[in-house]
Amino acid sequence: MDILKVDQVSKSFGDVHAVKDLSFFVKERQVFGLLGPNGAGKTTMIRMIMQILLPDRGSIHIFEKPLSPDILDEIGYLPEERGLFPKMKVIDTVTFFGEIHGIGHSESVRRADTLLKRLELYEWRDKKVEELSRGMQQKLQFICTILHKPKLLILDEPFTGLDPVNTNLLKDVMVELKGEGTTIIFSTHLMEQVEKLCESICLINKGEAILSGSLREVKSKFGKNRVRLSYEGKADFLKDKTLVDQYDDYGQYVEIGLAKNRTSKELLQKAIDTVTLHQFEMAEPSLNEIFITVVKAEGGSLE
Amino acid sequence: MRFLLRLSKPKEDPLNKVFVLIKREYLIRVKTKGFIFGTLFLPLFVLFIGLIPVLLGRFAGEGQKQIAVIDLSQRVFNPLDTYLNEIKTDNEGQPLYQLERIETDPGTLEAKKSSLNEQVEKGEWDVFLVIPEDVFTSNQFELYAKNVSNFDFNATLENAVSNVVSVMRLNESGLDHELIDRLIQRVQVKTFKVDEAGAKEESSMASFWISYVMVFLLYMVLIFYGQFVMRGVIEDKVSRVIEVVLSSVKPYQMMAGKIIGIGSVGLTQFLIWIGCLFFISSYGTVLLGQMGTGFNITIPSLSIWVFLSFILYFLLGYFLYAALYAAMGSMASSESDAQNLQWPAVSMIILSFMLMLFVVVRDPTSTLSVVLSLVPFFSPILMFTRISVNSAPLNQVILSIVLSVVMIIGLIWIGGRIFRVGILMYGKRANLKEAIKWIRYS
Repeated sequence: MDILKVDQVSKSFGDVHAVKDLSFFVKERQVFGLLGPNGAGKTTMIRMIMQILLPDRGSIHIFEKPLSPDILDEIGYLPEERGLFPKMKVIDTVTFFGEIHGIGHSESVRRADTLLKRLELYEWRDKKVEELSRGMQQKLQFICTILHKPKLLILDEPFTGLDPVNTNLLKDVMVELKGEGTTIIFSTHLMEQVEKLCESICLINKGEAILSGSLREVKSKFGKNRVRLSYEGKADFLKDKTLVDQYDDYGQYVEIGLAKNRTSKELLQKAIDTVTLHQFEMAEPSLNEIFITVVKAEGGSLE
Repeated sequence: MRFLLRLSKPKEDPLNKVFVLIKREYLIRVKTKGFIFGTLFLPLFVLFIGLIPVLLGRFAGEGQKQIAVIDLSQRVFNPLDTYLNEIKTDNEGQPLYQLERIETDPGTLEAKKSSLNEQVEKGEWDVFLVIPEDVFTSNQFELYAKNVSNFDFNATLENAVSNVVSVMRLNESGLDHELIDRLIQRVQVKTFKVDEAGAKEESSMASFWISYVMVFLLYMVLIFYGQFVMRGVIEDKVSRVIEVVLSSVKPYQMMAGKIIGIGSVGLTQFLIWIGCLFFISSYGTVLLGQMGTGFNITIPSLSIWVFLSFILYFLLGYFLYAALYAAMGSMASSESDAQNLQWPAVSMIILSFMLMLFVVVRDPTSTLSVVLSLVPFFSPILMFTRISVNSAPLNQVILSIVLSVVMIIGLIWIGGRIFRVGILMYGKRANLKEAIKWIRYS
């Protein structure tokens, strides 16, 4: 079942086309990454899913139903702009968000205590939100997002501002939730996290999808023409644009993107002829490279 | 992992969410020290103001006045002493004025006076009187005190001497004692509370006083609570919490929660205040009486209808202006933005108050007063003023309620639209043109 289906959605603000004919779908129990550089339209897209903004065109279905206020209680949403009521106590904050999602007061308190313990905030239970550090507030916000046990979790940049320990803690809870059957959509520009967590991605730039599908598909598409090379000598062939489309020199090794219609065999031949090779490897590109390559191509499709 | 177990969720009814929002808005405000202090402070302040004369009376009672009397006529002292002891007593019936006769003869008078002067200076006497021999014909006596501007005290002594001397004159005229007593019987004022049905003339000052206090309260509360709503919206914008809340409620629910929640805070505060006023106006006189101050004031009583219409017009005014203020708050990104945006609402409220002072109070039944009091923006203050001075017919009251409710519905519709767009706008302050665009945008 497609938990979320976005079909040809467009949204403009005046002259700015924030989202253009965007389509993608998210399968049940998946972890889905909505990726893109700043200003790509991720947040606008998410706000349309959350019914905070109305699309100009196109349709969005959640749980195979058109959007309606009824489904909001099945969704947990962590906006990019974090916000809590500064004067409210931690425990009151969590129960407020529980109650507003239709969980009774006592049940909210019970779940809140469990989650506060799980995310190591229990000792702050009766403190005011404004007394918490940024990182703690972010964990608190995360608790508020998952307290009502949503079927679909939408996290906009969930890891920004967290230290590695807390990032890991949050990741663990996300994995637990996935194990419980929750579908998670998260937007980020930190490709490392996506690589570890996501099964599917949609990369958008300037409001348009430029890459989507399962992570494996995406990677294999780029993997065919990527080579990792370690050598000694003067590698003039790297400058040959007909052979090497683009390369990144990391000092210890060079990552090479082959030009269209050229094979790794040709590159190997060239390399053997000119330099002393230590390593020659067909590399799976990191998502980071894909991201940079694709976005640098300024929205041009690579298909 | 048990906490992740999914429970089946009951279908949610949108009113329930509004209730959760109202509860939050209400509790977070009512629990603050500021609210508790503000709510209790005002009645205490009023009570304090009311009690000042009582307390002053008490203190005055504690200090017995020491009065030295040089009675050159040799006849006035005793009746004066008796007279003052009768009329001026404290709660326990002890005389307030302690008179002492200073023996002297005309030869040593000046020496005696200067020594008494010194004694008054030292505080041994509060005052000393010199009653001349010819008091019955000169009609004068002398009073020496450190401070001769205590009018009440001086008047009491003057009255007393005058009274005693008059009685003595009458006695000497050969009239019968009983006749004299009857003739000089003091006329005393008796005070009555007058209710609406009764004579209006007598109560007009009192009823004006109480309506003035209530209208002023209404005015203050409309301004304050409207601003609370606006500030509440801006605070939520600044703390960026709006988007989180919007992930589960619709903007109109959020606006309703804010307005009703803050309105309930206002109502709570109001009921406490009005309850105090009601209490003071019903039992105040009795209480003061029990304190035995002899302090005689009439506190006007507050009729239950004025009280109920007060609450009603507070609610109408509050909802009318709160919808405006919520919309304005949503258009602003900071408190300072809001200062510039709120003038239309503030000036409407101030204008109502001005019209109350200069039009409605002067003639509550004039055509102008009637028409103005039906205008929804002015109704809360003007119609309530007319009700409180008993000059608003029921049909006009009902008409003003209907008009206000229609206006409120319209404003909530418009305000809701502005609110929905405005709350997600950051960075710049929206202008009126944009706001109109937001209203039209579905």
